Amino acid sequence: MNRKKVLKNTLITGLVFLAVGGWLLHIRTHPPLMDEDNLVPFISGMVSIFILPLLFWFRSTISYAYVINGFLVILGTITMSHFSIVHFNGPLSLAGILFNTTLPDIALLWGKFVVGKALFDLELLRSDQDTIPAGRYFRYPNTGWWLVHLVMLSVVYALGHILWK
Amino acid sequence: MYRFMLFKPGWWILHLIAIAFVFWLGHAIGF
Repeated sequence: MNRKKVLKNTLITGLVFLAVGGWLLHIRTHPPLMDEDNLVPFISGMVSIFILPLLFWFRSTISYAYVINGFLVILGTITMSHFSIVHFNGPLSLAGILFNTTLPDIALLWGKFVVGKALFDLELLRSDQDTIPAGRYFRYPNTGWWLVHLVMLSVVYALGHILWK
Repeated sequence: MYRFMLFKPGWWILHLIAIAFVFWLGHAIGF
């Protein structure tokens, strides 16, 4: 087994640990049988634990894994932000935002995104001298592409919430 | 890796489905 393979195994293990942690935390605080809204993290967690590691494992499906992982993180960010906004009971201060919202959970979730990105980038890596093509920040598969999708999904989600009563 | 996608029907279909799903999710989740 070469070093790249070892690194890939380590990252996939990290991804599974993060997914299991998030999934169990959700089951404890938002049991899926109590409310159908809770099915969203329940199903997302199942996908992250059982399907994503397999998709990341094979070179032919790693693009799907990268995209699905990223969109699950974005959906988690949007829904947890929504949850925090609805249930926020002040004070509106830095400490209030840091400790009375789901911001810490969202930060952990983005850890999962970064692990997925590392797995994807690792697969494309030919040597440690590889350079990054310039001027493509907003194009797939770069970070700017995710930023655009985070903003646009937030807008569509908010419109669905506001307009569709 | 980047390919111009605007002329591909699959790109439009995927985006329409995704937008419809996220729009519905915004409606369906009732925190």
